[in-house]
Amino acid sequence: MRKGAVLAMQLDARRARPATGIPAEKKHSRLRRIGHSKTLIIMCLPAILFFLVFAYAPLPGSWIAFTNFNYHDGIFGSPFVGLRNFEFLVKSGQLWKLTRNTLLYNLAFIVLGNIVQIALAVMLNEIRSKYFKKVSQALLFLPYFISVVLVGVIAFNLLNYDTGAINTLIEKTGGDPIKIYSEAGLWPIIIILFHLWQSTGYGSIVYFAAILSIDTSLFEAAAIDGASAWQRTRYVILPSLKPTFFILLLFSLGGIMKGNFGLFWNLVGNNATVYDTTDIIETSVYRMIISQNNFTTSTAVGLYQSLFGFALVMLCNWIVRRVNEDYALF
Amino acid sequence: MRKTIAAFAALTLALGTTTACSDSEDSGKPAKITMLVLGDKPSNGRLEAMLKVLNPRLTEQANATLELHYIEWADWQTQYNVQLLSGDSSMDLITTATDWLFAWENAQKGAFLPLSDDILKKNAPKTWAQVDAKGDWDLTKLDDGQIYFIPEDNYTQWTNHGFMYRGDWAKAAGIPDATITKFEQFTQYFTWVKKNKPKAYPWDVAKQNEAALTGYLQGHSDWVTLQEVSTSSYYPFQVDNSGAAPKVTSWYYNSDQLLAAATEAKQWNDLGVWREDALNYDGNTREEMYAGLSGAEQHHTQTFVTQVVDTMTKKQPGSDPKMFYWGRENGNVYRDIKTHGAMAVSANSKHPDKALQVYDLIRNDKTDYDLLNFGIEGTDYVLTGGKLDRPKGWDISTDALDSNFWAGRMDEFEPDKVTDAPNKADIYKGLDSVAKVYPFSTLRVKKDQIDPTLTAVGGVLSQYIPQLQYGKAKDPAATIAEMRKKLKDAGFEDALKSIQADMDEWSKTHKAK
Repeated sequence: MRKGAVLAMQLDARRARPATGIPAEKKHSRLRRIGHSKTLIIMCLPAILFFLVFAYAPLPGSWIAFTNFNYHDGIFGSPFVGLRNFEFLVKSGQLWKLTRNTLLYNLAFIVLGNIVQIALAVMLNEIRSKYFKKVSQALLFLPYFISVVLVGVIAFNLLNYDTGAINTLIEKTGGDPIKIYSEAGLWPIIIILFHLWQSTGYGSIVYFAAILSIDTSLFEAAAIDGASAWQRTRYVILPSLKPTFFILLLFSLGGIMKGNFGLFWNLVGNNATVYDTTDIIETSVYRMIISQNNFTTSTAVGLYQSLFGFALVMLCNWIVRRVNEDYALF
Repeated sequence: MRKTIAAFAALTLALGTTTACSDSEDSGKPAKITMLVLGDKPSNGRLEAMLKVLNPRLTEQANATLELHYIEWADWQTQYNVQLLSGDSSMDLITTATDWLFAWENAQKGAFLPLSDDILKKNAPKTWAQVDAKGDWDLTKLDDGQIYFIPEDNYTQWTNHGFMYRGDWAKAAGIPDATITKFEQFTQYFTWVKKNKPKAYPWDVAKQNEAALTGYLQGHSDWVTLQEVSTSSYYPFQVDNSGAAPKVTSWYYNSDQLLAAATEAKQWNDLGVWREDALNYDGNTREEMYAGLSGAEQHHTQTFVTQVVDTMTKKQPGSDPKMFYWGRENGNVYRDIKTHGAMAVSANSKHPDKALQVYDLIRNDKTDYDLLNFGIEGTDYVLTGGKLDRPKGWDISTDALDSNFWAGRMDEFEPDKVTDAPNKADIYKGLDSVAKVYPFSTLRVKKDQIDPTLTAVGGVLSQYIPQLQYGKAKDPAATIAEMRKKLKDAGFEDALKSIQADMDEWSKTHKAK
């Protein structure tokens, strides 16, 4: 929801810029510019407040990652211990594996996710029957609302060796059942499929909305020129989706070191036999500190992920800006 | 703006004074004492009905009322610690434990109010005298010599773990006397179940369960697990107490027996003792046993005596439920430590005096005790021939009281229950005759120094133990070697050394035997 709302505002702001008639050069004072954008700012207010309260206000608390925290002295009074709370990540010998897995999964989620979402949005747009369009949209959207705990249960009932639907099918057709929960190689595919199943319907809404907002005169012009459906997609729709794509991409890059803990934990859990290909930072850290009563180490990990994400967003934004300034976030 | 601030300050001040007032005056409004308990909050109204009877009594006796705050089982480790971290001043009494509820960690981090002899004598005189008479206050002190919680030291329970199994199947499997006396005999038992009960799993087990390893190791070594240090879901340190001085060691890091245990686990896995995907299975395995679909269940004596025997006898007539506890073959069994349940007063409590007064009552006043633990006589329980029974139509799933007071139960107030195992006394007597007292309850491990190492160790163990415990490692010897190398890299030996230093220091003033 959050991502969608912010995005909508970004898009609005983008489109609104020329409409408000503010020229690029700074003719007006800052105050007057704010005055001009009053409506936009009011519309933004909930989002601004949200980020102030949940993202900026707790920032100083990150200090806890560098302390040996105790309740008496609080976050800022507890003894400073430098980087000691980060040590365990290196000591456990897993930092590389975890970082690699987390990055690769997120890259797959981002790249495949966006491709499938765009494809879906284009296809939805081509559906002429209103009723069919609505029903398929609703059905595609539905998995987003299914709790990952249930997804884990569904997966187990599909995949397990003794009673799983897939293995029962294989057995009934004369094949040998597969020990899916012991096959590390299969899990990247399984996890990515479940992720796509859950998120594609939701993600495609944004692209679908972007398609709907394309100036109809472009389609009319294409029709007059005799463009086929494919040509319309290739030369009108896809280029118009580019800004949306870049904004979504930059947004998702910020979280590239953060994993979808719920999905991974519920699909894999304690099954260490497949950790080589499924263990991400979140799941590993969760297991390590579950009984350690240690808020400092978990904050340290969060900070590591956020700083990495921050650096990546800055870098990618810089690259995007060099390529085409319009697509950059800032 | 300034006016608003002034008004706000005045208001805060006023509110502050009111609380201060009510605190000091015993005749004022009764103080509301909130007790943190572990468990799922009941919603059947039975708890509220009981409190409606209990609270007027507490008001009269101590001018206080009691309320329960539940930390539910879902993600309880995190919830519990976050609750204490939040410094919530509405919490007064906190259920804790040194072996499973982070009592030392939280005491060190300042979550509990240090309790002086005077404050205890004044507000909880009966409790103070009891614990003092047994010399148990030492079990609750940190290095600073202060008492941080009250032990549940007048309550006998046996939370020693083992396998529960079916006597009728053991007999058919050809186990002498239908009684398993050695861990390895389970291979014979499981093999028979697998062959003759095609619908049942020999041992239906779900998720994390180290028993195949730890059960074996406890019976094949005389090392004792150090309960003071855990990481991830593991207790990786043991003590070899056979020499002149206690030596800190580890089954997972040092024991030769680990390979034998892991090899047996692999044998069981190949045999199909558990589901192929036990690690991801999430079912209720005890219910499976009650339904005749599992040949074994792993938990402790208390569960066996109070629940399993009765239910199995009713649901699987003739099943002759039995229990094999770990360490039976070599007598490596320990009594429950006295701080397996304990009560602390929150450092942020506004009424520590009242909290202790209420605790003294619910621990020592029989009527208050019965109300809190068993509910209202007639509706929650009845007494049949002096034994605790349930009224007709009472169903544990819908009518349970669930007050979960596990930090001050008393043997003298606990009636026998109709549902207890008929041979409960024999089982207890048998354990009584072999069990040793855990000697290291007063050892305080300086965890601050090894925390990062422990976290890393937890990471390594959580990667390898699940594979070994379910026999999933193709070559157990290679996997163990790999795990030990990773443990070494994580600093395991530094942790051993550090704990050994604490142990040596402790040995100067305490006896390990």
